[in-house]
Amino acid sequence: MDVLVQLILNGILLGSMYAIISVGLTLIFGIVRVVNFAHGEFLMVGMYAVYLLGTHLGLNPYVSIVPVVILLFVLGALVQRFIIQPLLGADEHIQIFATVGLSTALVNLALLVFGADLYSLTVPSARQAISVGGNTMLVGQIVMFICAVVLVAGLHFFMQTTALGRAIRATAQNRNAALLMGVRVDRVYVFTFGLGAACVGLASALLIPLYPVTPTIGTYFVLTAFVVVVLGGMRSIYGAFAGAMIIGIVDSLSGYYIAPDLKEVVYFAIFILILIFKPTGLFGFGRGTE
Amino acid sequence: MRLFVKVALATGLALGASQASAQQAVKVGALYPFSGGLALLGDESFRGLEIAVEERNAAGGLNGKKIELVRGDAVDPNQAVGEARRLTSVEKVSAIFGTYSSSLAIAATQVAQLAGVPYFELGAISDPITERGLKYVFRTNPTSKDFANRMVDSVVEAVAPALNLDPKTLKIGIIHEDSLYGQTVSAFQQTRAKEKGLNLVETLPYSAKSVDLTPVILRLKSAGVDVVLQTSYQNDTVLFFRQMKDQGFKPKAVIGAGGGYSTRDTAQAVGNENIEGALNVDFPQYRTNPQAAPGIDEFVKKYQAKYGIAPRSGHSLTNYMGANVFLDAMAASKDLKADTIRESLLKVDVPLGKTATGWGVKFDEKGQNTRVSPFLMQWQGGELVTVFPPEAAVAKLKTGVGSN
Repeated sequence: MDVLVQLILNGILLGSMYAIISVGLTLIFGIVRVVNFAHGEFLMVGMYAVYLLGTHLGLNPYVSIVPVVILLFVLGALVQRFIIQPLLGADEHIQIFATVGLSTALVNLALLVFGADLYSLTVPSARQAISVGGNTMLVGQIVMFICAVVLVAGLHFFMQTTALGRAIRATAQNRNAALLMGVRVDRVYVFTFGLGAACVGLASALLIPLYPVTPTIGTYFVLTAFVVVVLGGMRSIYGAFAGAMIIGIVDSLSGYYIAPDLKEVVYFAIFILILIFKPTGLFGFGRGTE
Repeated sequence: MRLFVKVALATGLALGASQASAQQAVKVGALYPFSGGLALLGDESFRGLEIAVEERNAAGGLNGKKIELVRGDAVDPNQAVGEARRLTSVEKVSAIFGTYSSSLAIAATQVAQLAGVPYFELGAISDPITERGLKYVFRTNPTSKDFANRMVDSVVEAVAPALNLDPKTLKIGIIHEDSLYGQTVSAFQQTRAKEKGLNLVETLPYSAKSVDLTPVILRLKSAGVDVVLQTSYQNDTVLFFRQMKDQGFKPKAVIGAGGGYSTRDTAQAVGNENIEGALNVDFPQYRTNPQAAPGIDEFVKKYQAKYGIAPRSGHSLTNYMGANVFLDAMAASKDLKADTIRESLLKVDVPLGKTATGWGVKFDEKGQNTRVSPFLMQWQGGELVTVFPPEAAVAKLKTGVGSN
């Protein structure tokens, strides 16, 4: 019983990590309609940035959130403006190849600059374990959970109440209609891509105390993030949050009760089942919106 | 006509000159990953070979001929095949030395075998390299089976005595990443544990890309595992040590299979106080008793003088030791034909403790050196020191892991 509680807690904390990454991917995937294969590499870039700020300027990773979120926003916006936008009219395979190419280029750039070694930043405060009724959690994990909830709530507020948020939702629902209503769709795309990348910037600052950074760190998280996005219904940030929690808990429980190397089998099986019975994902908008 | 004669003369002279230099030099290939993700340790391995060759040249070369190293850069198995072809057909080398990585070695050895060129493996540990019956493939270093056996035997011969416990009372847990490396080593471990009558309670494979090993740790913890045998890369080693601490799991000993356990990066990421006491089975490192490994100190001095830094890992040493064995055999075979080299290699007989790595040399019919085994080391005070076997040890084995 003790183990079960610990496993569920652990799953929720793991889920909040996936949630922050997946919410960013949902924005790009669901609104700009680009399958961003370089999402994991954005995470890697963010983590190196946090690492450098930490070692050279002595910034605490939680302070680095501000500059790194801005940096990643700019990076995302630039990628959309100069790589994706010229290809918007082209076949979507071409856009996929562009992001795959970007991902490979970024990994190799990191290999060139930092080598294959792993770098880690020691943040004792974030690695402090808190014990609640015999169950342990790390401060860093709890911060991650709070950030995930605040991020989803913040994005909800932004999307519902601001003019830009409405423009984004309009663009997502029908690009041409939005264009006719005077929405500058290309600018919305640039902003949304930047926003998606900025979420990864937040994630990278929160991950640094828990994971060392290597050039391939992005691949550890991004496949799961894609599953979460599709599970959540592609375009819904609440869906992404719920999907991330499901994957996190399933990951944690099946790793213990079945076998650690079979946990992917379990969550992909659940993923396929959900797609069979609800092809639009948990929070999908119905058929045709894919 | 005159012009023709001149050209012909010039060509003839040039040909003659190149033939003359070919007679004075023996070309040997050095096939390692010099670029890409494996480059750091590939290059470190090459340095051992380079020092051995320079030593030999300074002492007059191979029967009076200078040895010329021709590099081949093998980033992946495809390129290993391409470079091995170039070395054997274009450069016409007398032998190839390599390779550090097993997948590269498996690919390149086949090319060399077809060309009838001897292939000397100095660092890759995958067993099949010398088990496929390739006649001209020889290996000086231990295989993954030797690693697995040393890990299991350490429980019986080193860990249990240090704890003053009967090894059969210890609960053993095997955890490993689930690619070829982890699968191979753990399969050998399971067989060996059964042979030794040990109490194996858990065998848990996991993906090296896991971002959470808590389920693995909780399984070990609920099973009451005393000794963990882990076969892992860097990231999963770091994750395991961090989460082991978070979950308050305190085994009596943790033994790694080289890989992620051997690098200073891992120790730094985990924190020296947390990795303190972790055991590791690997190629000999530099903190080995020089009496069991004659020449180790001289090698380190030469390395320092040539590259200006301390050796970055034990790879250069194992390559240096192996290169010397093969260069001796080449010197003993006057015509440098593959068959004569094979004959002289099969005659080599060096007892244990007489080389710079502390190993002996005796090749079996398959070309595998049988007088080798990796050593047991331990992280003590931020350094990896040899603790077993006793003749190679520089420190006593300590019990307990981390600050627990």
